[in-house]
Amino acid sequence: MKARTVRLWSLVHTWTSLSSTLFLLLLCLTGLPLIFHHEIDELLGYAPQPEAHAGAARATPQIVAAAALAADPGRVLQYVSWNKDEPGIVMAFTNSAPDGAPDNATVRAFDAVSAKLLGPVGLGPMLIVLKLHTDMFAGQAGKLFLGAMGVLLGAAIISGVVLYWPFTRRLRFATIRDSASRRVRWLDWHNLIGVVTVTWALVVGLTGVVNTWAELMLSQWKATELASMVAPYAGKPPPVHLASLDDVVARAKLVAPGMEVAFIAFPGTPFTSSHHFAAFMRGDTVLTARLLKPVLLDGETGEVADSRALPFYLQALLISQPLHFGDYGGMPLKVIWAALDGLTIVVIGSGLYLWLARRQKRGPGRSDAFARRAPVPS
Amino acid sequence: MTHGSSDRAHLWIRVFAAPILLAAATVIGLLAALLWGTAGQYVGWVTVGAPVAVVSWVGLRRRS
Repeated sequence: MKARTVRLWSLVHTWTSLSSTLFLLLLCLTGLPLIFHHEIDELLGYAPQPEAHAGAARATPQIVAAAALAADPGRVLQYVSWNKDEPGIVMAFTNSAPDGAPDNATVRAFDAVSAKLLGPVGLGPMLIVLKLHTDMFAGQAGKLFLGAMGVLLGAAIISGVVLYWPFTRRLRFATIRDSASRRVRWLDWHNLIGVVTVTWALVVGLTGVVNTWAELMLSQWKATELASMVAPYAGKPPPVHLASLDDVVARAKLVAPGMEVAFIAFPGTPFTSSHHFAAFMRGDTVLTARLLKPVLLDGETGEVADSRALPFYLQALLISQPLHFGDYGGMPLKVIWAALDGLTIVVIGSGLYLWLARRQKRGPGRSDAFARRAPVPS
Repeated sequence: MTHGSSDRAHLWIRVFAAPILLAAATVIGLLAALLWGTAGQYVGWVTVGAPVAVVSWVGLRRRS
């Protein structure tokens, strides 16, 4: 690699890293507790616990819906959801209007058997951590900004891999030069940790970027696929009397045999049209449980209107989520995710230290310090 | 010339063999846990955890 090429890649690596350092640190630091958000919520008493009912029949969806509306008088139901990993709980989302802002929604948990209100969901300190991690309390603009930081992370990782060769070609793998200066020791650690975690960091970084585009993808789906699905019902007013949720669930299951309902979106919510329920069906494996299939049902009669697979970009979004959260391999995978997150913090911190140390050594006014550290080209 | 290319190839393998193996292990582990149920989870724990094990091993080796 020529000296000029090394210098160019060094510039890319230095400035893509530096310009995103602060936000990447924020994402890594907030991401760490979010890996264990279930456990932390349980520990702090923010996770509703279902009652014990050995072998008892589950409450019907309509009974849960009635309980949810009774718990929040004057508001409307947006969604009812069933979590595969928490079979004892049904969640209900209420809001001031079907298309009410997500931040105004109230999420409550109900016992899956007795339909008793178990308590609110998504409150407590983890909500603040989640908001910091997803949009820094800046809404869609914040999400897209953090997505852009993820793109910079990708560029920093790729340029780092390119630079790994000229910086380490004279060393054995995993060499830490203990007899050298502190800066060189940290350079060795930076190179080692960076290169061994490169795939995980790329996967988590890029799936995070995809997640920041979720609203845009949903809008695209609504404007194209959903619009085409509801086209035959154009001009129909919103339903005056909603069909029974029990009918909606039963009919949706007939259209998607072998699948369970993940959640139902009520007419007028962002996931469906103003006239239809949308039942989002899931399979029972780790993968198929993520790949939802929407079934559209008439809001008044409960009759099935249409059912199609989600387009590739929404499927990509759904598959990207577990790869970002690391919540699909039990507690050991969560612990490994946390360790890799910690190592990423070390890489970011050591990169910043190396840049500062080099600047100090060279004196002010010589910002291309990282490039000057480049070894003799081969 | 050929000798030089061969040396360079050996050097390249020496530098990148371990990182490429770890990258492949990570990809296999991430997908295995997603696609192969419980058995895949076990594979995932070992292979996704391999980079952590390498860093821990280097840290421990330096202390001893």
